[in-house]
Amino acid sequence: MLDIKVLGPGCANCKKVEAIAQQAVLAMGVEANIAKVTRIEEILEYNLLSTPGLVVNSKVVCSGRVPSPAEVSTWLADALEAALHAN
Amino acid sequence: MGGLGNLASYLAAHVLLCLVPAFYIAGAMTALIPKPAVTRFLGRSTPKGLSYPAAALAGSLLAVCSCTIVPLFAGIYRKGAGIGPALTFLFFAPAANILALIYTGGVIGVDLALARLVLGLAFGIGIGLLMAALFRDADIAHDAATDSLFAGEPHLAGAAALLFVVLIALLLVGTLKLDALATPIAQVTVGVPFVGRVDTALHQLVPFDATKGEEGLTSQGAALILLLLITGLASWRGLEHIHQGFSRWTGVASALVVLTLVFAAVQVVTHANSLDLIITPRTTGVAAALAATILIAWRWLPRALLRDWLWESWRFVKQIFPLLIAGVFAVGILRMLIQPEWIETLAGTNSLLGNIAGVLFGVFMYFPTLVEVPIAKMLLGLGMHRGPLLAYLMADPELSLQSILMITPILGRLRTWTYVGWVALFSALAGLVYGAWVDGARLAMIALYITGFVALLACGFAALERHRRAMRARNPLPTPSTVREA
Repeated sequence: MLDIKVLGPGCANCKKVEAIAQQAVLAMGVEANIAKVTRIEEILEYNLLSTPGLVVNSKVVCSGRVPSPAEVSTWLADALEAALHAN
Repeated sequence: MGGLGNLASYLAAHVLLCLVPAFYIAGAMTALIPKPAVTRFLGRSTPKGLSYPAAALAGSLLAVCSCTIVPLFAGIYRKGAGIGPALTFLFFAPAANILALIYTGGVIGVDLALARLVLGLAFGIGIGLLMAALFRDADIAHDAATDSLFAGEPHLAGAAALLFVVLIALLLVGTLKLDALATPIAQVTVGVPFVGRVDTALHQLVPFDATKGEEGLTSQGAALILLLLITGLASWRGLEHIHQGFSRWTGVASALVVLTLVFAAVQVVTHANSLDLIITPRTTGVAAALAATILIAWRWLPRALLRDWLWESWRFVKQIFPLLIAGVFAVGILRMLIQPEWIETLAGTNSLLGNIAGVLFGVFMYFPTLVEVPIAKMLLGLGMHRGPLLAYLMADPELSLQSILMITPILGRLRTWTYVGWVALFSALAGLVYGAWVDGARLAMIALYITGFVALLACGFAALERHRRAMRARNPLPTPSTVREA
């Protein structure tokens, strides 16, 4: 189970990132929980300077731009592998 | 009718050669400048002489959209250089971001755009320094782990730098009002039946009155509006899903942009049944710059960057253009309701009252990004002095109720309202100084004014410092009770 968070106050780019993350999750057929973080105070708890931000298993993988679906897939695969090694 | 007419002539006259390149430049800045190239100067360890200018630079280059402004502002304040540079950034971003400057220069005049830039820079840094001095004791303790956020030294890719040069050349050759750019070098006559009658009909539809600051609409203008509309539709198909890859519509949309810009740079003279298309150096310049842009973007720019660039430009268009159109429409209606006498009595001269009126109008009226510019143009047409006009242009983007509400939870109430007070004061001052300069005051007089003001500030600070020392002598362990965030 992957924990994915999209950080951003609700601008066009944040929505785009959420859609792309959803698409990548569907394409890979993995189980994931996608949550949106819109409060500035909560966003600031992560290590990033500009939104939109994408967090996979509490690690910021991308910030300040919209990634492509292929990039997101790689990050999801990496996170899955890391979780496997941890167990 | 006034609204529609204003909108039509606006779209035909101003938008194309100024705003279209401006959107592409803004998109390129967001997508192609690696943010760490600027933000690495905003860490805690950077000396003041570097962090304040870097904060202003970040405001101008990176922050066209409030999505970027608030997180970056909070990041600089809490994790980086502190309250001073953070406020310099916050002040400078809406006043002098690249879109606002280009647009002010194109619609109102280069002098006002320059004044906005120079005075915005001076006062942005001034307010940052003031706030840092005022709240020095309360500047919060930083957590040590976060300085890595401001590390890293990425560079601008060579192709991206070249692209900026070409885009700025496109903007200049398209908008500069030089006679050399408008001398005819070739002429083509095309037969178009009844085009003369179309022109007459358009003139009747959109009445032309230069004294009221109204502009007419020609058949070329009408054709350009149509092209713009088609380009918009093609962009929706070609750019909205660009993250899934380029499609045929991406090419169509780009070709339409090129066609529209080149056609806008051609001078057209209408006869009864034919059109004279006059090719000027402006036409060839625009065409050459566009060709260079396409060559660089397609041959040398990495595909991922090209995608990000097109997306960010399109996003700006989607976000700002509808608001701008609605704003210009509203301005056309407003212009018929407001009596010029009102504006003239209130702010027709460069008085203190006029400048304060300009600032107050800016604070209480909220207009979305860039709409302040057509509003300012209307006020200018109605007889407002350029001094109070600058005061309004400085205050309006900084001090909307919305932005005050956004920064209050980050800064705390006391600091936010202190900031608001300084911005109001400095905007009025900027208007007075610029207005005096427009009225032909000697530089020595202006310098005297500013020196007096700075002396007044210095006295205030000396008093504050004495008070602070007295407090500390009585209470040797100052408690940071004013710190909400600690």
